[in-house]
Amino acid sequence: MNYVQLEKLGEGTYATVYKGRSRATNEIVALKEIHLDAEEGTPSTAIREISLMKELKHVNIVRLYDVIHTETKLVLIFEYCERDLKKYMDAHGDRGALDPMTVRSFMYQLLRGTAFCHENRVLHRDLKPQNLLINRKGELKLGDFGLARAFGVPVNTFSNEVVTLWYRAPDVLLGSRTYSTSIDVWSCGCIFAEMISGVPLFRGRDNQDQLLHIMRIIGTPDERVIRRIMSESGESQQQPPKQFPRYPKIPFQQVLPKAHPQAIDLLERLLQFDPAKRITPRRRCSTHTSPQARRQYPFLPLALSRLLSLPTPHGHHAAQQQQQQQQQQQQAAQQQAQQHAAQQAQAHAAYLAQAQGMPQYQAPPIPQAQGAPQAMVMPQHQYMTYPQQYAGQR
Amino acid sequence: MRHPGGVFEQIEKTPSREDDIPADLEEDLRAFGCKLIHQAGVLLKQKQVAVATAQILFQRFWYVSSMKQFGIGDVGMGALYLASKLEECSLRMRDLINVYDLLLQRNKHMLDMQNSTVHSPEFRYAPMSYFGNTFYDLKDALVVAEMQILKRLGFSVNVVLPYNTLVNYLRVLGLTGHPDVCTRAWGYLNDALQTPVYALYAVPTIVCAAILFTTRFLGICLPSTPPNCWWELFDADWEDVWSVCGYIMRLYRPRSAEEKSRVLGLVSKKGVRQWLEEHEPVD
Repeated sequence: MNYVQLEKLGEGTYATVYKGRSRATNEIVALKEIHLDAEEGTPSTAIREISLMKELKHVNIVRLYDVIHTETKLVLIFEYCERDLKKYMDAHGDRGALDPMTVRSFMYQLLRGTAFCHENRVLHRDLKPQNLLINRKGELKLGDFGLARAFGVPVNTFSNEVVTLWYRAPDVLLGSRTYSTSIDVWSCGCIFAEMISGVPLFRGRDNQDQLLHIMRIIGTPDERVIRRIMSESGESQQQPPKQFPRYPKIPFQQVLPKAHPQAIDLLERLLQFDPAKRITPRRRCSTHTSPQARRQYPFLPLALSRLLSLPTPHGHHAAQQQQQQQQQQQQAAQQQAQQHAAQQAQAHAAYLAQAQGMPQYQAPPIPQAQGAPQAMVMPQHQYMTYPQQYAGQR
Repeated sequence: MRHPGGVFEQIEKTPSREDDIPADLEEDLRAFGCKLIHQAGVLLKQKQVAVATAQILFQRFWYVSSMKQFGIGDVGMGALYLASKLEECSLRMRDLINVYDLLLQRNKHMLDMQNSTVHSPEFRYAPMSYFGNTFYDLKDALVVAEMQILKRLGFSVNVVLPYNTLVNYLRVLGLTGHPDVCTRAWGYLNDALQTPVYALYAVPTIVCAAILFTTRFLGICLPSTPPNCWWELFDADWEDVWSVCGYIMRLYRPRSAEEKSRVLGLVSKKGVRQWLEEHEPVD
């Protein structure tokens, strides 16, 4: 083998991960060793991981360098990252909670990586802090694509045994098999809240308990919404819909008192019970067949712009815009105060702004909206202006 | 991603051709392997998405491997097993093996009938013993076939199925009201799974070919004179559409009794090797 195996990094359900060094370049890598089982052949997790990850090349996605396939085992050679987000939070956070600058940087990178997956028609389906890797430069990378799958025109029914319980979207908990990108968006929201507070937002024991945990915070949705989601699930059609206690919505500001209003606003959009209302690909690609059309998923850029506290270009009305401007001013002041406190986060941010030039994010051309809400339209220049703003803060 | 190697020579001269397997025989064996996958899928009540995916992977595989090295039976079984994992409707190994064993036994019976070595026309399936060698041999073959497909296709196992595209195109063309159109075109798409077209052409081209067949068969007129050609709406090239039609038409070509029985004996690589020895090219 062209790699020297070093110490063991961890053991998963179907693989063991070792640190490794390339004999040719001395580069440190992660070696994921998968034992081939005679009982079921090549594990489907490994098949998915390789077939999808070899196509996904992005700064915010762990890079798969090579695959070594022998009779008895399969070794995946990955880019090495020091630790996962969970461990990072334990080590650097204040009882797990990260400072706002770091949260912002990580959330930006998380959404960017997720957007890249979705643009390439891959659902991750298992986003959680343990699967987000952080390297020494403060770069966050999506890893462990063992549950990911490619999606096309939404017709296929998928398995609903996906996503670790705490990060699982309510529609999936209700049995939906026609979920799409919104499933990852929910997980992003859960991770966002967890980075702010240091503890997972919804900690259910089982499927049902998880749903109740969610409803206790974001409120029980309208019965029609639940019925519609359940009617899409196929399986549960036979059983009568369950009755849920009616919980009122608790404002996120109350749940996360530390969070900035802009963060609350983003969280609000990520953690929508109804997948159709979650920040979503603006239109499903069912009528579009050209590859360009399929790539047009402008939803995450919008999420990013919110995160980066840019004004919405087409606010619903002037009052809202004004309010937003005020919020921005507030935020600018607040951020200045935070700056001194957050040395490390600043280092991240500086690195990112410099190394990636942030807005290199290539915005897809905005397709002509057909009955889509205007506020979703995000002209390219809006987030192209980011670095100046960013630089101005420093 | 459509074909693993993607080069013209690979399509012109497949590994089987390099091993002196004639083009028409390879074509028939590909189709026969796909029929076995289809039959196994029906017996296992497997979802059509998995069966179709398996057939497409099976066709791709023969652009990187020769039928002298791998039997169409084993590879078909491996492809169906793999595709079922990919489409998230996994099969039990034991079930798949039993079904393939049945299909292979029936094959052998038909072959024996034609060679008149047996006289009872009725086929009787003899189930294998639970811990017998047949099971372990087939299981090994299955695991190896799955691994070889993954390895030789370099894990390029993404497959795009044509069904949604068909429905969309028929809607665009305003043909959904016609009772027969969708069923018939759908049938052509399924028949095309027995040909290599899904490994060679983009889905829109194949769907256009299915619509072309359907509209010609049912006598439906669509604008077909330049500059107004309906297939251009879907970015399909006429030459390609016509070529896909050719592949599908060759599937319907009447075969002689000899041609029909020929494939029955060539399901394993052993059979193919024996056939090659008997039919050595004379210089």
